[in-house]
Amino acid sequence: MSLPQVIFFGVDLVRFTIDFVNFFALYVAISLTLNIEFGYTGIPNFGKVLYIAGGATFAGSIAGRVAAYILGVQIKGDFITYVPQIINDVNSELASNWIAAISILVLGLVVGGAIGAVFGYISSFPAIRLREDYLGMLLLAVAQFYQIFLRGFGPLVGGTQGIPVPDPFFYFSTLGLGVRDVVGAAVLATAALLIYFYSERVARSPLGRTLRAIRDNEDAARALGKNDVAFRRSVLIVASALSGIIGALYTFYIGAVGADTWQRYAWTFWPWLIVIIGGAGNNVGTVLGALVFASMTKGLQQSQYFLQPYVPFDVNWLQYLLFAGILILVLLLRPEGIVKEKPSPTLPKSVLKGIETLKRKEKV
Amino acid sequence: MLPSLVTSSLVYGSLFGLMGLGLTLTYLTTKVPNFAYGSFVGIGIYTAYSLLKIQRINPYYATFVSFALAALSSVAMYLLVLRPLARRGSNIVSLMIATFGVDIAFVGIFGIYTDYITDKYSLGDAKSFYPLQADFSIFGTQGVVFVSPLVLLLFTTCLYLLLKKTKFGTAMRAAVENPSLAKILGVNVEAVYVFSWFLAGGLAGVAGTLYALRFSGGTNTGSDLIVEIFASSVLGGLSSLFGAVFGGLIIGASEVMLTNYFAQGFGFLGTLTLSLIILVAGFGLVTRKQARRKLFGTVMLAVGAYLIVDLLVGFTFVPVASQLVSGFGPDAIAYQKGIPLMIMVVTLLLLPRGISSVEWKQIIKRRRN
Repeated sequence: MSLPQVIFFGVDLVRFTIDFVNFFALYVAISLTLNIEFGYTGIPNFGKVLYIAGGATFAGSIAGRVAAYILGVQIKGDFITYVPQIINDVNSELASNWIAAISILVLGLVVGGAIGAVFGYISSFPAIRLREDYLGMLLLAVAQFYQIFLRGFGPLVGGTQGIPVPDPFFYFSTLGLGVRDVVGAAVLATAALLIYFYSERVARSPLGRTLRAIRDNEDAARALGKNDVAFRRSVLIVASALSGIIGALYTFYIGAVGADTWQRYAWTFWPWLIVIIGGAGNNVGTVLGALVFASMTKGLQQSQYFLQPYVPFDVNWLQYLLFAGILILVLLLRPEGIVKEKPSPTLPKSVLKGIETLKRKEKV
Repeated sequence: MLPSLVTSSLVYGSLFGLMGLGLTLTYLTTKVPNFAYGSFVGIGIYTAYSLLKIQRINPYYATFVSFALAALSSVAMYLLVLRPLARRGSNIVSLMIATFGVDIAFVGIFGIYTDYITDKYSLGDAKSFYPLQADFSIFGTQGVVFVSPLVLLLFTTCLYLLLKKTKFGTAMRAAVENPSLAKILGVNVEAVYVFSWFLAGGLAGVAGTLYALRFSGGTNTGSDLIVEIFASSVLGGLSSLFGAVFGGLIIGASEVMLTNYFAQGFGFLGTLTLSLIILVAGFGLVTRKQARRKLFGTVMLAVGAYLIVDLLVGFTFVPVASQLVSGFGPDAIAYQKGIPLMIMVVTLLLLPRGISSVEWKQIIKRRRN
């Protein structure tokens, strides 16, 4: 069994769709967590990459070791040195042993979430004390340090070379070319959907209103008896744990983890761009922003084949200029984003309409 | 010939002093940390590289070009991005994300530029290169070791004279202190701001050019330096120009020294001294009233006590102390940027307004009484 090929103007549409769904789901998920932090609670998290990278690197590194241990794969000497061979053996075991495959996936996600939560907890100490500018500088610097640290530090993910990660979806790659990627993209999309529903539920709950109250007027919220420190801390922990889980999922999907992936533009700036374009403080806007971003990125990548012969540099660099320009234009011309923040309904629409008609009847 | 530890500290410290000074200048005017500042250093690095490799122009002459280029980019960033946003009444987070956007644009610009020169002049090392081999030497010591502190001294003195002795300097200080009042009194606040951004960019350009003479560079170098730049500026107090200079010197020297010690090991006596310092500092903090400092002090007390016991009984526990004695070897490079970061975190925790907020006179007085 292999995926069908639909070629349209030299573009394989099936392959393109898989890549697009995967990319879109990844950025929807990350941007939604940023939207919970920044859009609803007003914490300017300029170190987003830290939590994703933390989750991904620890999950990838620990999952490989644990998988080798429980599947009885021989480790001769240093894990990092022999990792390609070890992961190869692990994967061929995982293809037939689906219980192990699922356990490894769950373990990775739990580790990713836990590391994200720990990093979130640690960064909540500065986040509840510092002003926005100091906090932005500190988180950006910490995230940059983590990347530089990964580059020089071997035992975790083998520095810039990176290490392969056990593949819980390996069974599907034995079925045919591309089947695994469909499954992987479906898992990522499910995760993004779950985070969307969670985030929407938070927004509509009393908790969401409290968070917005803290964002808009900290002193007033405190005067009404809301413990703003505790709320900020838990928001950071939850959002960071979700980011860590997404990082772990992404690592399993890619099948490798290294130091150079965790650049601040890809994991901090793009989510910020999406939240700003879509409109901070509402989830629909964030999804729309991610859609705009993903379409433009993937479109630009496809246009590469037509453009490349005419320019003396890699066309992919243009996206940095393009998105920086778009961001600044949006900030200047429409700072509230595509979708403005609206008071979110706390009850389903049908119930709200019912209440309205009741009120009208009472008046009559 | 001076030992490389001293020379590296001197160069690093002076360059971070220059960069911290520049970042603080922009922070003073727009009240927003400029996340793109590292990229202006990148402009300096690549100006030096291209002029040397393509035109065979010595990097010392290139400093003038990099000053101009980086200064103009900085002014363009202020006039085209930050000023319109500030006039629109954007909040501080929007301004920060805008500077972040400019930084991202520079990723693209450096990428395009290096692709282009790699292709056109067949330069294989444009994306990541070794220190530029074009420096002179005095008694076997590299010229930049003398030049960079001199440049820092020159800029600091000129800025001091400008701020304290000239009319424009007085206007500048007024515009920073209270823009609206200064405007009423006829100070051209806009001109002051543009000048600050011009100078800040120029400082970054000069620092970048000198940096490329001593250290290896690449497309990421500028944005990686942001850790030290922020640390220097925060240590200096973020709103004190001369504090930032001292902050940069301290950050540069401690990064070089400590990384070296971590790599080569402190020796038995060194580790003992270090542990004692940690212990005493922890003890000092525990006796404070605030719970936060108490917690911090307790952790330090525990770490110090653990290290000393581990050292004395001969490394029976988790071998932290033995690693400190014998060194981490080349692995230490991974922790290098952790040092400025730690200094920044400790500064924010204990001395949030930086070294410039410490009233030395009062401390000395108190000691005497």
